[in-house]
Amino acid sequence: MKKWFLLLTCAGLAGMLLNAAPSAELIEAAKKEGALSVYTTTSRVSGSAKKFEAMYGIKVTSASMKDGELVEKVSTELTGNVYGADLILAQDGARIYGELINPGYVVNYVPEDMKKLMPPEDQDPFVFAYYNTVFIFNNETTKEPVIKNVWELTEPQWKNRVQFKDPNVAGVNMNFLTMLLSPEWTDKLAAAYKERYGKDYAGEYENAAYGWIAGFFANAVLGNSDTTISENVGTKKQEKLLLGLFVLAKARYEESKDLALQPLPDTVPFAGFYFPTIALLTKNAKNPNAAKLFLDYLMTEEGFKPWSVDVGTYSGNPTVPANKDDLEFTYWRTRLVPENAAFTYENRAKMEEFINDIINK
Amino acid sequence: MSLWNRFKNFIRKPHNLILVLLFAALFFLTMFPLLSLLKDSFLVHPSEVRSIKGSKAGDLTLYHWYKVFLDGKNSRNIFYRPLWNTIRVSLGSCFIAISMGGSVAWLVTRSNIRFKSFISTVFVFPYIMPAWTLAMGWLNVFRNSHIGGARGLFTAVTGIPTPNWLAYGAIPITVVLGLHYAPFAYILVGGILRNMDANLEEAATLLHASRWKIIRKITLPIVMPAILSTFLLTFASTMSAFAVPAFLGTPVRYFVITTQLFRTLNGMNPGYGYIIAVVMIAIGCAILAFNQWITGKRKSYTTITGKSSQISLVDLRGFRNILSGAIIGILVFIALMPLVSFAVESFTMVSGRYALSNFTAEFWIGDGRVNVANGEPGILRNKYIYLGLWNSVKLSVSCALAAGTLGVLCGYAVVKGKMYRLSTFVNNLAFFPYLMPAMAFGAIYLSMFSKRNLFIPSLYGTFFLLVLVGTVKYLPFASRAGVNAMMQLSGEIEEAALIQGVGWWKRMTRIIFPIQKSSFLSGYLLPFISCMRELSLFILLITPANRILTTMLFQYNEKGWSQYANAINLLIIIVVVAFNIGVNKLTGASIDKGIGG
Repeated sequence: MKKWFLLLTCAGLAGMLLNAAPSAELIEAAKKEGALSVYTTTSRVSGSAKKFEAMYGIKVTSASMKDGELVEKVSTELTGNVYGADLILAQDGARIYGELINPGYVVNYVPEDMKKLMPPEDQDPFVFAYYNTVFIFNNETTKEPVIKNVWELTEPQWKNRVQFKDPNVAGVNMNFLTMLLSPEWTDKLAAAYKERYGKDYAGEYENAAYGWIAGFFANAVLGNSDTTISENVGTKKQEKLLLGLFVLAKARYEESKDLALQPLPDTVPFAGFYFPTIALLTKNAKNPNAAKLFLDYLMTEEGFKPWSVDVGTYSGNPTVPANKDDLEFTYWRTRLVPENAAFTYENRAKMEEFINDIINK
Repeated sequence: MSLWNRFKNFIRKPHNLILVLLFAALFFLTMFPLLSLLKDSFLVHPSEVRSIKGSKAGDLTLYHWYKVFLDGKNSRNIFYRPLWNTIRVSLGSCFIAISMGGSVAWLVTRSNIRFKSFISTVFVFPYIMPAWTLAMGWLNVFRNSHIGGARGLFTAVTGIPTPNWLAYGAIPITVVLGLHYAPFAYILVGGILRNMDANLEEAATLLHASRWKIIRKITLPIVMPAILSTFLLTFASTMSAFAVPAFLGTPVRYFVITTQLFRTLNGMNPGYGYIIAVVMIAIGCAILAFNQWITGKRKSYTTITGKSSQISLVDLRGFRNILSGAIIGILVFIALMPLVSFAVESFTMVSGRYALSNFTAEFWIGDGRVNVANGEPGILRNKYIYLGLWNSVKLSVSCALAAGTLGVLCGYAVVKGKMYRLSTFVNNLAFFPYLMPAMAFGAIYLSMFSKRNLFIPSLYGTFFLLVLVGTVKYLPFASRAGVNAMMQLSGEIEEAALIQGVGWWKRMTRIIFPIQKSSFLSGYLLPFISCMRELSLFILLITPANRILTTMLFQYNEKGWSQYANAINLLIIIVVVAFNIGVNKLTGASIDKGIGG
């Protein structure tokens, strides 16, 4: 513990020193360019953009859209070599990998000081931030965890009481389901099955992963938006206790909307999943230097403010602390299913077909 | 005379020149995209490389066709089930639309019901409002906390939680679409009744036939072909409706063909989407052909022979007040209630709680609080809303000017050149976009113009592309208005001017246009209104720099920020209604003259 603390402090100090300022050349080059255009899956960018404009006098226009839509737009624009965005903050690893990185439509950029601070696997493609999606339940009547094992959610008592965003709408959710097909997570699900029922999985499906997904979807109500799901689950005075698998960041509405929400971090074998928001420059960016400068800024503690005021988002820069009401990402990371872009890219079609089959039942 | 000379002679007449130019332009803008769409259904698209093993982008493949039609369970999920749902929903909503629109039309034109002008103004409201307006209104009232987030007004007032079948799925979609298209049926049927020769009815009255007998034996048979054609047009519209099933069907996984189209085009398998679009267009064409066959065959029954000056109105007697009251009640419920509910929703902090302490102007004029919707400022202080509003108005005005003007020219040329087969071609080409489902049309333009094509550079991301697609899509309204207006105009008027040596431009601007001003203007008004409330046509083509209000609304709604969505919706309706009333007061043109003519 002590050792960790020391390490973190050192990293923090190093971070402060290194975070000093972007190079003078970059600032100068950026100021010569025009207004910066950012496509993003997180609308909070506009908060940082305001301060950035005030600091450097460089205007930022941001447009927020859904993950699949963003990939589609950028890919269409670059096929026709139409200029649209300089910088993208995108989600859905599988499609970014397959439709933007593979055809060479985007350029990876790592801010100078991040090269030493961030783990190498987060640098290509460059991770701007991580989000986590966790099992969250309505804790108005009980504060005790309502489930301990994910297999419970496939049992009849949870029929229509579990909410999840339609994976056909959110690519990251489809990626999560796809990741369960990897040997590691299929095995873990099989082990959890045995733990719960005392015997090996031998259901109608090929393996425990497919079996769990089918059972989960048989009980689940699919939504279009995590915000709506958080309201559905968290509204007080409901007849039945509801549970959802949605981004932890939505738990912030607890006060402003008077919702009762509590995460379940200790669920076996996973408490949910996490996925990165990737920052990339487009190949036909008109204002590449402004884009770099803005990304430099977003990676500072100050630039991350619009996100860190809430729980559920974690800067790719490990020296930027999480929200004080939240746990550090290192805590969550071990409990969640990660997103592996290459694996999801290879296997997602299989999962999409499977899902479309079971949700149409 | 050599062929060339004949052609030169032919082209010398302005209307012939217009015909040739329109034919070339429309062929390129409607038929060519169709070919490009077909081609796309046989290609491997970048996002499909993974699913089609061993292929690369751009390869020819039959994979999509196989998957959509022949792959058992998968085809059922991708195509057959949504198609079946579409047919059921469309038939149901057609029935509602026509029986409601038809009865009101009859009451207004043929009976002594009270408040006629109020009824006919307010009844078309649902149609000039964006299509999802009623769907949102429905959700505001009936949504349950089971799926739709906070509970709706109904539950809040009565304490009874609404069941899923009432809040989502087939029944609400059918009812809402039916109500939305009831004005459409009203306009069409009303037009027929108004223009119908009343002499036959008069004669029957003289012979002391009973009212009911007159309706059964005379009125209905006369309007039957027209009703059938109304049915077909309404069916075509409900079939291609997207927003309503998207709002009311998706939460319970109830898909129709348009929502399926959106899912596939926006997802990983655009190839499926292109095929679905082809199927929709094929159905549309079949409907048009059928419609032409019907109206063509029984033309003699529907001719407009000039109006009888005295139609004696049916005296509703004791029912007069009851019926008047009932209709006013229904109108208030379907046309005004949604507006009230938007206003209320946009002022509540926690949706679903209707207490005074919960009211806030945050979503209109707040500067954004971090714990509410990521610090998004209220819509009156949001620069992107103003950008969207400006873009929407700019786009609608441009489309209206372009489509309206083309419609006048088209009407002029088609009617003047009606002896040539080319005229029929142009008339049908101008109507063809009506049959293309808006989203499929957007998809085609996306696939055609996102890269360099023939001599045309990539237009994707330009404002011009939006204007182009809007103009072509709304041309049917304008060209119908134009053709109808010209049909009513005797050729002698222009010939008289021609003999006096008056030039073409002057003939158009000084004689023809002014005489039929209000008909022509409705050809401008309809594209404007349609464009202001359009979502599915533009949703695939919009880039952030060109975002418009409707696409923003859709995004807010998808994010679950319903207060912003409600506020924007109100904003759109105010603009559309204000514009409609303004134009109506200034020029006398109004929407009910457009389609029904």
